[in-house]
Amino acid sequence: MEFEGTFTIEEVSTEEVWLALSDPFLIKQCLPGCQFLTRVEDPDDVDFEALGEQEPDEDPPTLPEAAPEDISDRAFEEGGHYAALMQIGVGSVKPTFRTVVTIDEREFPAMNASGEGSATDSSFEMSSGMTLVETDGGVDIEWEAEADVFGKIAQMGQRVISPVANRVVSRFFGSVEDRLTEVAKEDDSEGLRDRVRNLL
Amino acid sequence: MAEHEITLTVNGTDHELTVESRELLVHALREELGYTGLNVGCESTMCGACTVHLDGDAVKSCTVLAAQADGQEVTTVEGLAEGGEFHPIQEGFQEEHGLQCGYCTPGMMMTATQLLEENPDPNDEEIRDALEGNLCRCTGYQNIVNAVENAAEKMGASTQGDD
Amino acid sequence: MTEMSVESVDPDDVDAADILGSAIERREDPALLTGDAEYTDDIQLPQMTHMAVKRSQHAHATIEGIDTSAAEAMDDVVAVYTAEDIDVPGNLPTGWLLDTLNQVDHPILADDRVRYQGDAIAVVIAEERYAAHDAVDAIDVDCERLEAVTSPREALDTAPDLHDDAPGNTAFEWEIGDAEKTSAAFESASHTASIDLENQLIIPNAMEPRAAVADYNPSTEELEVAMTTQNPHLHRLLMSGVIDHPEHKLQIRAPDVGGGFGSKIHHYADEALAAWTAKQVERPVKWVATRTETYLTDAQGRGHETHGEIAMDDDGTIVGLKVETEANLGAYLSTFAPAVPTYLYGTLLSGQYDIPAIHCEVTGAFTNVPPVDAYRGAGRPEASYVVERLIHLAAKKMEMDPAEFRRQNFVPDDAFPYETQVAVAYDSGEYEKTLDRALEMLDYEDFRERQREAREEGRYLGVGFSAYIEACGLAPSELAGQLGAQAGLWESSLVRFQPSGTVTAYCGTSGHGQGHDTTYAQIVANELGIDYEDVDVVEGDTDEIPQGMGTYGSRSAAVGGSALVKSSQKVVEKARSIAAHQLEASEADIDFENGEFHVTGAPDRSMHITEVAEQAYLAHNMPDETEPGLEATSFYDPDNFVFPFGMHAAIVEIDPDTGEIEFERYVAVDDVGNQINPKIVEGQIHGGVAQGIGQALYEAAEYDENGQLLTGSMQDYAVPKAEHIPEMETDSTVTPSPHNPLGVKGVGEAGTIAAPQAVVNAVVDALEPFGVDHIDMPLKDEKVWRAIHENGGEN
Repeated sequence: MEFEGTFTIEEVSTEEVWLALSDPFLIKQCLPGCQFLTRVEDPDDVDFEALGEQEPDEDPPTLPEAAPEDISDRAFEEGGHYAALMQIGVGSVKPTFRTVVTIDEREFPAMNASGEGSATDSSFEMSSGMTLVETDGGVDIEWEAEADVFGKIAQMGQRVISPVANRVVSRFFGSVEDRLTEVAKEDDSEGLRDRVRNLL
Repeated sequence: MAEHEITLTVNGTDHELTVESRELLVHALREELGYTGLNVGCESTMCGACTVHLDGDAVKSCTVLAAQADGQEVTTVEGLAEGGEFHPIQEGFQEEHGLQCGYCTPGMMMTATQLLEENPDPNDEEIRDALEGNLCRCTGYQNIVNAVENAAEKMGASTQGDD
Repeated sequence: MTEMSVESVDPDDVDAADILGSAIERREDPALLTGDAEYTDDIQLPQMTHMAVKRSQHAHATIEGIDTSAAEAMDDVVAVYTAEDIDVPGNLPTGWLLDTLNQVDHPILADDRVRYQGDAIAVVIAEERYAAHDAVDAIDVDCERLEAVTSPREALDTAPDLHDDAPGNTAFEWEIGDAEKTSAAFESASHTASIDLENQLIIPNAMEPRAAVADYNPSTEELEVAMTTQNPHLHRLLMSGVIDHPEHKLQIRAPDVGGGFGSKIHHYADEALAAWTAKQVERPVKWVATRTETYLTDAQGRGHETHGEIAMDDDGTIVGLKVETEANLGAYLSTFAPAVPTYLYGTLLSGQYDIPAIHCEVTGAFTNVPPVDAYRGAGRPEASYVVERLIHLAAKKMEMDPAEFRRQNFVPDDAFPYETQVAVAYDSGEYEKTLDRALEMLDYEDFRERQREAREEGRYLGVGFSAYIEACGLAPSELAGQLGAQAGLWESSLVRFQPSGTVTAYCGTSGHGQGHDTTYAQIVANELGIDYEDVDVVEGDTDEIPQGMGTYGSRSAAVGGSALVKSSQKVVEKARSIAAHQLEASEADIDFENGEFHVTGAPDRSMHITEVAEQAYLAHNMPDETEPGLEATSFYDPDNFVFPFGMHAAIVEIDPDTGEIEFERYVAVDDVGNQINPKIVEGQIHGGVAQGIGQALYEAAEYDENGQLLTGSMQDYAVPKAEHIPEMETDSTVTPSPHNPLGVKGVGEAGTIAAPQAVVNAVVDALEPFGVDHIDMPLKDEKVWRAIHENGGEN
């Protein structure tokens, strides 16, 4: 199944969007149903139960509160593997997917990632790409994803899955937009913007 | 899992039973109470083999939790005949060869009887529309439509007789 | 609307002498209408456990590990089993071999590899149904996904091998007919037409999902399995080998069975697992498929990719036909799978036509879909579809009326028995009769006029014909054996008088909606000259019925019914000798009529057969050497297949703006030989046509490129609803089968064989102004719309 779209955020800079989308904690918070998102060393040997237990009770600050330098330190790295636990409602079922994602390419302003997730009776494999394009009033996030789904959710067919995928994506970018809008509102936003730009 | 004490009146007989929250009405009727006339054909509310009347309305008992039906009156296919006499819809199905393997038939008749209550003289198209939620793989539906028309005639005649 | 419906009658209103051939109401209906029927899932046994199956979510993968610990630790879980626990052969065999067949293992639980989505990996036995399904969800299977393939052509061309024993995914290569003669015919032909078509995979969709309840008695070692079966004895034989349980200690019983359409012929893993686990846990085990499980695991039907060509001489006489087919067999060889796209397909490619040269090649392919096997019609619908689509195109090529093109090429009435070029001999047929009757019912000339007028108004009407023939009544055992059957295809019966004059008739077929209790009682009552109500019919239990081969291939009336006639006749002969003895006459002088034996020329000296029955059990006064009792067992092995035929025709109107197809008429004129019960015959035609229309317009098992089923529930797989099926106008002609004692031909599959091409031909006829020659089934609105518009509108 292939999906693609463009999400526009007004009054932000490419660098700010890039920084936001580089932060595993922000991504976790913006992804509906994501219980954790953690860097792992070996993608083939991930103990999700242990990772779930290790999760800190409280995340460090993310945008707009976080210092850009801190985000930069923990940002996704090309070649890095990340484990996530995601619960997604699909029709009448709500499988929890143990997911491992690898950042295949990451070079401002574009990032490609691929991964797979498995639940009790369903699983998926996906690859995705994203490019940020500066526009007159803000930034267009052009994204595309190709996913193969297996098991129970596959039987529900595109009829059910497409709306679910669209819902997850729009909620995700919606949350990211909310954060960035707050960044823009911050009094010292110009200072923040400079610091972000300098980081790149 | 939470359990519920519920009461169901099935074909006029009161039953008290304990069900899990997630237990479907169809399973409570079939497995707890032994009303095996209704059947399970799918889990997607599409086939209608499990249709019963719940407080007079035809519903698919695979979409209703047993706990939701607490205190309600259920009529199953076992409750159609009275005093050993077939209901006109049963006579209609028999006379018109409206059934083959019989698996969909109980649900089909429960939907049809509700149709006939609301519309005592339905035409072919109205019958086919009303049976939209009941699938049959054997008959090609034609003799089911004839069976419903047959029952409508019988019921119409008996109503006239009563007047 | 033309009212052609058969009126049914109360059996009490029928004279005993007229019972055979009367449209009496069915005796099985009262139980089915009141909830008294007992389907497999209705069975509750003390201490019964529930089985659920962990299935592969991938269509093709290696199994790296299975962790059942969480499932085993759950409350209410009795046991969990995987392949390594299976201590019996556990390999599902195929019952039909071909010379070139590559046989492959088909384990009841996958050990190191899964080959279709739904392949069984583990089973849970739990105290109740919900707990069993919960525990299945807790089983963790570590899989390495492999590339999957669902198209037979791709499987043969490019895909990785599914089985080590089947290189290139080739299950078999098979041919029939004469290649050289056919090539020569094409070379000398004046005109040819060709087609590339797909006959899509269909999910059978019996309304009752498959189910089994197994109960084992460790003291007696008796294992009783009540299950959804069309052939209990066959299941007993196969299961006894699969789970290594002696056949005489295994009872297979078919309770009421809610439809089959072929899907309950085959031996699947699940029923074997229910039986095997019942022995392991020494408690009854119930397994009931969910609808999604039936979609994932019931053997599917059709699945052909075909190229066909037809050649004609100058005046439109057919001179040759050639067909190449890649047949999808799915992931493993199901019970009768190799027979379906070969001997049940290639042998029917002459249709109703006198075709002097035919050649057909079929390659069977393994793919990552569920096993593909017999589905109502099994091979014959695929054959009839190719032939009748080619005939349509040939008539168009010749600029001839399609009805008259058919008439010109029919096997003439005086040519029977007719040997086709594809190894079968049609015993009887009068094809013009059904054509003429259909044309009359359609008011054909008038229709063509209306069609012309409608086109001028921008309305698109079309008529499609389907002159079908099938070979059914499976089958002469010796012939079947020569062709690869690993079983005989006779049928067995026992007819037994009780001392009081009632009769129980046992037959090895196993009805599941066809009304056998009624029709068999009509047959036996007629043969014995006793009241219909005095005959009870028993089917579907290996402990009660001596032997049997089951119900499929439209064989029950032709083969099972004939077996009952044979046993009844043996009973009459024995009764005749007893009557002769007691009436003090020679047997040769005893006439039998309407149940009465009397001495020729002395009607007063008579005994009714029920009196003879009483005497036979009293045994006070029997002829020498005659055993007491009055019963007989028979095995009837037919001399030939039977060949029902007919003409179906559809008239449709297409909305070119939406592609929507609306039926104006559907006419079916069938010749199924003598009819034992015309109302039941009509019902079989209706149901068969509905399934054929379902395939033509709505149904398809669809997979994505990973072999994931996209139509996995009734929300996504379109089983036709009441509003989708038109009013069918049926009529029949009667050309009795010359070789069975009832003169019957079989009716169960006729409608399904006939309908698809009647509909597709009608749609293509309607779209002729748009230059549309073919659209693959199912003809969904969007596909039809696309066909209209891809050709750039009206020519």
